Amino acid sequence: MQEYFAKHPKVWRAFDIFLPFLATLAALGVGAVMLMAFDANPVEAYGALLEGAFGSTNALADTLVKATPLLLVALGICIAFRGGVINIGGEGQLILGALGATLIGLSFPDLPGYLVITLALITGFIAGGAWGAIPGFLKAYFNVNEILSTIMMNAIAVQGMNYLLSEPMIDPVQLEAASRIPQTARLSAAFDLPRLVPTRLHLGTALAIIAAFLVFIFLWRTVVGYRIRAVGLNPNASRYAGINVPRHIVLSLLLSGAFCGLAGAIQIYGLHHRMFTDGSATGFTGSAGFNGIVVALFGQLHPLGAIPASFLFGALIVGANKLQRVMQVPSSFIIALNGLVVVFVVSADYWRRRLARRQEAEVVSEMTASSEAEVPT
Amino acid sequence: MDSSQLILTLASIVLVSTPLIIAVCGEILTERAGIVNLSLDGTMLMAAMTGFIVAFETDNVWLGFLAGMGIGAFFAFIVAFGSIRLRQSQYAIGFVLTLLGDDLSAFLGQNYTRIPGPIIKHLPIPVLKDIPIIGPIFFNQDPVVYFAFILVAVTWFWLFRTQPGLRLRSAGDRPEAGFARGVGINFQRYLYTILGGALVGIAGASYSLNIKIGWSEGITRGLGWIALAIVIFGGWSPIRGMFGALLFGATKALATYLQRTFPEVSVVAFNAIPWVLMILVLLLVSSDFTERLVTIAPKSLQRPLQRLLRVSPPQALGSTFVEE
Repeated sequence: MQEYFAKHPKVWRAFDIFLPFLATLAALGVGAVMLMAFDANPVEAYGALLEGAFGSTNALADTLVKATPLLLVALGICIAFRGGVINIGGEGQLILGALGATLIGLSFPDLPGYLVITLALITGFIAGGAWGAIPGFLKAYFNVNEILSTIMMNAIAVQGMNYLLSEPMIDPVQLEAASRIPQTARLSAAFDLPRLVPTRLHLGTALAIIAAFLVFIFLWRTVVGYRIRAVGLNPNASRYAGINVPRHIVLSLLLSGAFCGLAGAIQIYGLHHRMFTDGSATGFTGSAGFNGIVVALFGQLHPLGAIPASFLFGALIVGANKLQRVMQVPSSFIIALNGLVVVFVVSADYWRRRLARRQEAEVVSEMTASSEAEVPT
Repeated sequence: MDSSQLILTLASIVLVSTPLIIAVCGEILTERAGIVNLSLDGTMLMAAMTGFIVAFETDNVWLGFLAGMGIGAFFAFIVAFGSIRLRQSQYAIGFVLTLLGDDLSAFLGQNYTRIPGPIIKHLPIPVLKDIPIIGPIFFNQDPVVYFAFILVAVTWFWLFRTQPGLRLRSAGDRPEAGFARGVGINFQRYLYTILGGALVGIAGASYSLNIKIGWSEGITRGLGWIALAIVIFGGWSPIRGMFGALLFGATKALATYLQRTFPEVSVVAFNAIPWVLMILVLLLVSSDFTERLVTIAPKSLQRPLQRLLRVSPPQALGSTFVEE
């Protein structure tokens, strides 16, 4: 097989790019076995899934809407992982961003829409960034394990959200009705992000895609981005090269949190138009803060790779709802399937690298063979 | 609160801390060998779910524990295989498995939620249980509790007083040196990751068979992360880890007590405090700053304080090793 690839580099490149999708298909195969174990017909089930995700304009728009926060979180995760820190605090940072953005919308109900939206998105960016910077600061200057501190910051953010939404920020209507559902009042309709087509698709999706390109440029075409990646690859070498390592660790977690916070702000202004909680983190975030990590890994920690990856996972999530309705398969099956997909993609990456290594070795041996032939005897 | 109530409370703290103690011992073995099994939270849920279903269907608690062990070992094997053989980030694999375990357990266990099942029997130890105070707290419990405390002693002895323990630690501290002395580093890492995972599986199963009795979605959620934090707090030592787990159990009990005593304070504060405390504790034991703080203390106290407050991880923790 590798001989064939060595002769046809273009086929190899195509294969290389599509390998994650082949791995996805393999994971769907395993999922089919699981479905059969639950007495569901896999063909029908996947048919329902596809129809739910792409079957109509509305379905497609929903897929894109679901993909938007995943993409933004994944961008943040790319920055953190490239900077050598692991950010599992996406959930908390997303919540903080959403809270900050909601506060802006509630505080200035009379200002013009474009002003409030801009201000709110910036606030969300900053609030998420601040929440991410705390574990970054603890990691850089006090050596505190960022995996655990970010997880704990999630729990703290959830408790803070529950408190704010049940006391100071609660919808006055809920207070009067004494039902006390923990949610804020609906933001003024003037603050809704513009719809792109007459579906639920909103401007946030376009913003997220633009952000992906900006993050790519930042990481690979600017000095600060280069330094962040250098610190991630080898902190000691970076230190001897004169890079302030602690500062860049804080910066990468700060930016990582900032994009998660932006995701939260866009969820509020584009989709929900109010903040609410069911007591846990997933009620509002829909686990986007965690699934974004999976998306980033699927996109091989590349901002542009995150675009198709988030689209795929958005489709899986939206399709899952349809699957659940039609086939009575619980939607947690799909999230389990997400995990399977990533495990497969990760193993496929190993296979890809091994093929690439063999191929290089073959080219080298061919070159040496031909150069030996040229030596005059 | 009178004295008999206090003793009951202490006994329940010991009981609820045991899964944490077992999981912490397992993860210490794994991390001492140089691998971080980040999947604890998902593994414990899977083990709790599988353990309960198997025990329910066979009506045998011990088979339930065995199944939990198997699941834990299997998840740990994926982490070990992914990081050693496939050379992927062990953190990424562990995290994905955490999510997978959480959702898969909810999916596979949906038909078994909130039904009563078999429960492990109480086993008071004769004579010892009659010792005042200590007896009712430590020796009037079930076998899993005794297992946890024996495990702490055995793990400590194995790690720090035996030859195999030395080989195990060499894999996590100085893999090159260990390899030069003929230690199969990656074999050690596979072995102790899987063994540690099996222990985490017991911890998960003991939750649904012993403490909360029965399965419901996400019953152990969060505990895995707490166990990972206690491993750091415990300085990768089983005895210190045990105290960490007991301390955490006591803090939880105290929070519940305070909540009942001060109902006017928002419940949110009591829910958030353990996490804030955890971050502060991690800050205290991990930071160089603590070392400077210790120098304020009198000379004679400095060394013991240093040993008490500061910990450092196995030096090759989380790195990959290529046997060449």
